[in-house]
Amino acid sequence: MDGITIKSKVESVDSSSNSKLASIFCMRNIKQGSMIFLMSAVTLILLSPVIYMVFMSFRSRREIMMEPLALPTKFHFSNYLNVISDMNYLGTVMNTVGVTVVTIILVSILSSLAAYPLARLRSKVSSLVYVFFLLGMVIPPFAALTPLYLFIRDLGLLDTYAALVIVYTVGHLPLGVFFYTSFMKAIPKELEEAATLDGASPLKIYWYVIFPMLKPITGTLAIFITLGVWNDVVNPLLFITTNEKLTIMPAVLRFLGTYSVDPTKLFPAAVLASLPLLVVFFALSKQIVNGMTAGAVK
Amino acid sequence: MKVDKRLLFLLPALFLYIAFTMFPVMKGISLSLTEYAGVGEATFVGMDNYKEIFQDQRYLQVLKNTLVYGITVVIFQNGLGLIFAAILNSIPAVRDAIRTALLVPSMLSLVIAGYVWQFLYAPMGGGLNELLVSLGLGSWQRVWLGDSSIALFSVAAVHVWMFVGYSTAIFLAGYSGISSEVKDAARVDGVSPIKSFFYIDIPLLAPAITVNITLATIGTLKSFEFPFIMTAGGPDYATMTLGLRIFQLIFSEFKYGSAAALSVVMILLVALITVAQNSYLRSREDKI
Repeated sequence: MDGITIKSKVESVDSSSNSKLASIFCMRNIKQGSMIFLMSAVTLILLSPVIYMVFMSFRSRREIMMEPLALPTKFHFSNYLNVISDMNYLGTVMNTVGVTVVTIILVSILSSLAAYPLARLRSKVSSLVYVFFLLGMVIPPFAALTPLYLFIRDLGLLDTYAALVIVYTVGHLPLGVFFYTSFMKAIPKELEEAATLDGASPLKIYWYVIFPMLKPITGTLAIFITLGVWNDVVNPLLFITTNEKLTIMPAVLRFLGTYSVDPTKLFPAAVLASLPLLVVFFALSKQIVNGMTAGAVK
Repeated sequence: MKVDKRLLFLLPALFLYIAFTMFPVMKGISLSLTEYAGVGEATFVGMDNYKEIFQDQRYLQVLKNTLVYGITVVIFQNGLGLIFAAILNSIPAVRDAIRTALLVPSMLSLVIAGYVWQFLYAPMGGGLNELLVSLGLGSWQRVWLGDSSIALFSVAAVHVWMFVGYSTAIFLAGYSGISSEVKDAARVDGVSPIKSFFYIDIPLLAPAITVNITLATIGTLKSFEFPFIMTAGGPDYATMTLGLRIFQLIFSEFKYGSAAALSVVMILLVALITVAQNSYLRSREDKI
């Protein structure tokens, strides 16, 4: 279709004089160039706090006091070394990675399993259950915090990773069910029907036929879960009391406190805490952008 | 009657969801009718917690702050995001690179962004005021987070800064669904770019607008991280939001009954706003 539009445009241009053509292209280039310049400037301004954060992380307290906006003169890696050891950086990163991975596995299995009947069966029960799950998406995570705390306490799970894994897994189930159900509806039924004729059980069909086809949407879901777990402070502060078991953001929060923060601690801690997600983001930016924007277009 | 075996697949997820989400929500509603400090027995106080919320001037201010914060962020984040996406869509050479760059702030966490901006906003030696001086705009200096007339907007600006790239990315995804023929036809007919933006782009971007507004609304109404880190709700309650107040009631005042009541108010508020918004935005989509 695009080819046709271009062709008709070329024909219409051909009929006019060549100089006019050149001037149109020239005008277009100037306009494009100025737009590119404008957006690059806007982007630079928006990124400046991030750049500021990185520069500040290498400066000594004295330098920051004397000249708040100057560039680093030499790189004070000592800032970083102090933060890494004081914050138990590697330990908290490993905690966060562990909790994230287990949560992703549990959410993807539990919610895709639930989504299978929801996508395939046309009954009152299944549509009711579907709506019931979606309800969970509008409930703010705060809403049930106190009773949830008491429940976890009664189960004897306070100060365990299990508490975090359970809370994160359950918190992401509605999103998972929503993603998988809409994705599965678009998968043709023929393969399953063939497998059923061959005598495969529903569970086998789910595991060998359906689940392998869910990779793209599982990727999207994994992005949302990762962002959710890495950025959460409330649940670890509530359920974890041992500092060594904290995940990254509450560890930063506890390390820095909230009043009059020391810049030589703040900025290296901010860079270190952001680094893992930024590395993943730049490595997978295309998939992440596609995942995050999926659903915006019908 | 034979029940389809596949219905059994619902059970594990359904069980966990009921046990750890719906059951606590129900308990929360009953807890909101009590006074409870975490130990001992909860005492039944009826609607007292709710009466307190709706009679206390401070709580009315909290509701107002939350709404002003939400509306400000939703308008600016999506307005700017839409403009950025419209411009980026016309410059394919750099579109993807800038889209990725604009997403970088949203990859920082709220906690980190809060800390960095608290420092940028600092009245003495803070990046923003220093920058204004070095640009010769010293008279524009403000106590960004300490002046109760602007503090809420200073905090909201950080929210916009952080997520404007996310809105832009979603609008760009919407743009990729608009066929170039429509826009070419308009151009050939001599429709100005501004007109084509308002009469072609915006109507065709309706689904992206719905997604963006819904996400931004839910995201801001429940967030508490920025005011928690940057202002602790001050000065004089100017930046106290619903989420932060609930956080304080639980973590520093140990008033679990009041926290539960405020949470119920929050659920109703979020549900009401998102349902109203969605039905309006969807009906707008259908008209097109």
